Amino acid sequence: MDFQPELPIPISYVSGRYLLFSIDAVTYLRREHHICGVLIGTLPQIPQQNVFLGLPLELMPEEARLLVDKGVACIVDEAKAHDGMNTLLEEDRRRYLRDLESQGLHVSRIQSDRKERNREQTLKKLEEKKAKAKAKAEASAAAAQTPTVPEEGTSIPSPKNAAVVDLFNAEDRSSSPPTASTSIPPQSAMAITPATSYPPLPTPPSSSHLSAPAVPPSYPLFAHLHSKGYFLSPGLRFGCQYMAYPGDPLRFHSHFLVVSYDWDQNIDIMDLVAGGRLGTGVKKGFLIGGSQKGIDEVDSEADRVDTVRAFSLEWAGM
Amino acid sequence: MADADEDLIHAPANASAQPEVDLSDETQDFRFLNHLNFFADSSPGIPRRGEKDFEPNPTELQADVLSASRGAMHNALSYPRLHGAKTRVIAFYAPDGYVPPAQPGRAKPKAGGEDGKEDGKSSESTPKPARPLPNSARISPDACVYVPSPKGQFFKTMGQADSSSRVWLLPEEALYLIERGSLDIRWPSPSASAAGPGEEDLSVPMSLQAAYTCFMGRGGLTLERYSVYTGLKRLGYALFRAPGWCDDMEQQDAAVSDASELTSPELHGPGLAGMLGSLFNWIHDPRSTASTATGPIIGTGIHRHYMDVYRKLAIIPWYDPVTAPERHPSDTTPPFRVVFHIYKPSTPLKKSALPTPDFRIAVVSTRDQTTMPTMTELGALLESTPLDPPRGEKMDRMMYMRLRHGYRNVVMAVVDQGVVSYLRIADSAFGKEKLYENKGGPQGPKRNRTNQKPRKR
Repeated sequence: MDFQPELPIPISYVSGRYLLFSIDAVTYLRREHHICGVLIGTLPQIPQQNVFLGLPLELMPEEARLLVDKGVACIVDEAKAHDGMNTLLEEDRRRYLRDLESQGLHVSRIQSDRKERNREQTLKKLEEKKAKAKAKAEASAAAAQTPTVPEEGTSIPSPKNAAVVDLFNAEDRSSSPPTASTSIPPQSAMAITPATSYPPLPTPPSSSHLSAPAVPPSYPLFAHLHSKGYFLSPGLRFGCQYMAYPGDPLRFHSHFLVVSYDWDQNIDIMDLVAGGRLGTGVKKGFLIGGSQKGIDEVDSEADRVDTVRAFSLEWAGM
Repeated sequence: MADADEDLIHAPANASAQPEVDLSDETQDFRFLNHLNFFADSSPGIPRRGEKDFEPNPTELQADVLSASRGAMHNALSYPRLHGAKTRVIAFYAPDGYVPPAQPGRAKPKAGGEDGKEDGKSSESTPKPARPLPNSARISPDACVYVPSPKGQFFKTMGQADSSSRVWLLPEEALYLIERGSLDIRWPSPSASAAGPGEEDLSVPMSLQAAYTCFMGRGGLTLERYSVYTGLKRLGYALFRAPGWCDDMEQQDAAVSDASELTSPELHGPGLAGMLGSLFNWIHDPRSTASTATGPIIGTGIHRHYMDVYRKLAIIPWYDPVTAPERHPSDTTPPFRVVFHIYKPSTPLKKSALPTPDFRIAVVSTRDQTTMPTMTELGALLESTPLDPPRGEKMDRMMYMRLRHGYRNVVMAVVDQGVVSYLRIADSAFGKEKLYENKGGPQGPKRNRTNQKPRKR
């Protein structure tokens, strides 16, 4: 579980966006670096819903930049890297296909095992039921032996029921062995669509990495809050730039609606009122902030992060 | 103290009681997925939302719960995309786009070598006119994946079949299917020259990463458009590309008919019926000669109806969406342009003859477009959709439903880094809802009616 991927983690640059396809990288970055991103893919196990989504994970440019600046990740141009697919050697192809097949076999074995276990369980349950029914039937039969005619009528159905159960059981038993035997042969290996293209492709050399992503002017505030331990996610849907969570959003509600301003920017009082009321309405603080130094006054973005000041607004005394 | 709006503010606090909570709004605890048995045959339901803590504390309990949640998330996300032997559908990636079937039935995409490449290029500009089969003209030049033997329910609303019954998929369709684990896409085989049966085996399956790499950015597909496509697909809607899909549509006449058409509707006139009507009014009311230039607005004399007075008072011109001219999609400015036609799951569909869409949607990325659309952009977007006046028994009865429904409407999907918000924009015609002519009776309870401000658009 506490898997440590090889650093730097390659972030896929695909058509202008930053994506992650490796589940190990996703969990690692979430656990160690508080980077959550947004899952945008369909979960193959329950594909017709939008509540739980799966890989890939889309990263904001801010998140990608932060990771690159920390030296945790690098940006890989996937289009270029995938040109390598055409020049893949035949033996590499063979090896890769063999790998996939053995994985598929493994999965189908797990599945058939599970099926087998389920079948046994239901069989056991049925048997128990049958035993109970039998006991009951015997008891009622014993009771029926002494008394009068009308009770005989009620005692008749119970053996009948038992017979029905028996019939189903017999059917089950006769039909189940063939299904069990069909799931064993090796040709039933599941085909797998892998999530990432590495193994077949070699890890791209560090010389081919792209430069750090360009970030919007709100980056210093983003990096500042992140350095204070907040988890940040895109917030437009909630009426702000970022949502700031005190811990992993899996377990915590967010505390702040974050909007970044430039240091000398005039702020419309209506924006503050609207943001403040919105935040209070959903039990969150409205947080504004910005960095004191402009991008042209310092050497790097990192220097701006230290000069960030943030204020939180809340409706009080109502 | 207890304002009405304070109540409103506190209402979301007990939101758990309300059934209309959008679960996809917030991050869900993946542990709930553990309760589902993915290997079961029946399709699992969606778990309910769980409790979250206010803030982190140093207790071990919290740490354990969090690591359990993360573990569940890890498990759920690492679930492989599997293809059982019976349900497996194999497709091939054709990097050069649509290639007409080669002579001996189905063949590899690159079977023709030279031939294949040439066709791929020519189809980018126009579909070849001299194609012998009528079917092949329908295949989009953007299609890049073909399915030799299509099966399953997906191809009812996706793909285009060619003459040898291969189904060609657009990039977003292929990506959606591979992502949900319903399609096994193969890279084209390297050694296409040796057309033996054993040679097929060396075609390597495409990974999800490779699929994103190859399909994203192809034929105008952006991640934002794809997010909208796949999000609605997951909910069961059917989506098709609209004519406005390509950004570089013929724009030559766009400049000519720019803003001038958005001006007030009097320029276009009220039509013959309207003119007759006003003529009637003029004859009917001898004092209608009163004008703002020569005297009081409502004129002097006896008024038998308040209606007459109000009608005279209505001197401010208003926008009438019915008389506004319909515009070609090329008049709109991307990204404020309809890119998808959407059909509800209940709408009967035939791929070859699509009915009028239930919704039209424009997709906007917040990182590329950081401002609201201008009036010109929004007007052009609305006027590129057909007139959809509020009709039906309910609409006739309820004025506010009419106003909300509007006369034209479009859905705008705003995508902020993978988080999609949908807005419905409608062209309400307040000027058409004359409160003083209300069907309840013009002389009826005036006090209530006149309190509502007659708003103008």
